[in-house]
Amino acid sequence: MGHRDIPELETPRLILRGPQPDDYPNFKATFTSYRARFMGGPLNAYETWMLYAAEIGHWEIRGFGMWMIHDKVTGETLGMAGGWQPAKWPEREIAWIIWPEKAGKGYALEATNEARRFFYDKRGWDGAVSYIDPKNLDSIRLAERLGAKIDKSAASIDGSDVVYRHPSPKDLRNSQLADGIALEIQHYIDPVYKVKGWAID
Amino acid sequence: MIADRQISTARLTLRPIAPGDWEPFRACAMSDRFAYISGKQDLAGAWRAFAAELGHWQMMGFGMWAVTESGGDDICLGIVGPWYPAHWPETEIGWIMFEGGEGKGYAFEAAEAARAHAFAVLGWDTAVSYIDPANARSIKLAEKLGARLDPAAKGPSQGDLVYRHPLPEAA
Repeated sequence: MGHRDIPELETPRLILRGPQPDDYPNFKATFTSYRARFMGGPLNAYETWMLYAAEIGHWEIRGFGMWMIHDKVTGETLGMAGGWQPAKWPEREIAWIIWPEKAGKGYALEATNEARRFFYDKRGWDGAVSYIDPKNLDSIRLAERLGAKIDKSAASIDGSDVVYRHPSPKDLRNSQLADGIALEIQHYIDPVYKVKGWAID
Repeated sequence: MIADRQISTARLTLRPIAPGDWEPFRACAMSDRFAYISGKQDLAGAWRAFAAELGHWQMMGFGMWAVTESGGDDICLGIVGPWYPAHWPETEIGWIMFEGGEGKGYAFEAAEAARAHAFAVLGWDTAVSYIDPANARSIKLAEKLGARLDPAAKGPSQGDLVYRHPLPEAA
């Protein structure tokens, strides 16, 4: 699969696009920083470039990969989300990273939920896992909000990570969980709950 | 963006490195043959390096060519060609021959063609090769290609030898 065949996904606030050469400085800023400590970083400049090139090569090798998350209005990049399965990965992973200064706005949830929907609905995935460092509390929390649960019987990458198993497409369809995720995303978009009219009693 | 995706020489066809080249690349990267490249890799490191080879093509519009025998079975015998990741001091012509691709002068034939392509098609105005001082075979190849040690130039890592290639009119 060529680079330009990477599909674009759209959510209320975001556009997910294949990683472009122009986006590299944003990627570099995060992966050379402490933010990357749960993702094998911080990396030096050369390692960072090689990893970014590998993010792009992943699409060509596997036919899926990580998208760059863009703000729909400003176009700026916010992080990455998508599928990830390099050598040694026991299963297909749903992964995410948000630039440190863009965290706390629900972008990872919105992007990851859409990526998972795409893999389930358009690519026929029957499930996915996320491999998470047990000290990475933000990611554990997000995995839980996505409905993923610890799977102690599943193989991890190297024993130092915890396997969170995502709900299957069947379990997700028309579920309370899916409604809850949609509601949470909507709350990020319009965080002020506005009461319309007056209470009757 | 990616033009001229094939080079033919007397005996070889050079094409962009592709997903199907993983197995010969992996075998090489996980062997001592990588000692002078970036060190012998584990499986994860080999895969990342391979994916980055493919990504280099997408990022830069050029990258390492898979060396295959013309009229053969398209098996990748090594990778040779232009390499210029971010933070690289200068445009490089690199070569890594796999087991089975050696001893036939293929690296020389491919590197000469890739270098000519880099000057003519990519429009490079200079080319170097960064070589570990202990890598006697690569030094020999660089010299056979007419490259000369440039002691004033800096390599990406401390201790790298920098061999500067002759320009097309001199080669």
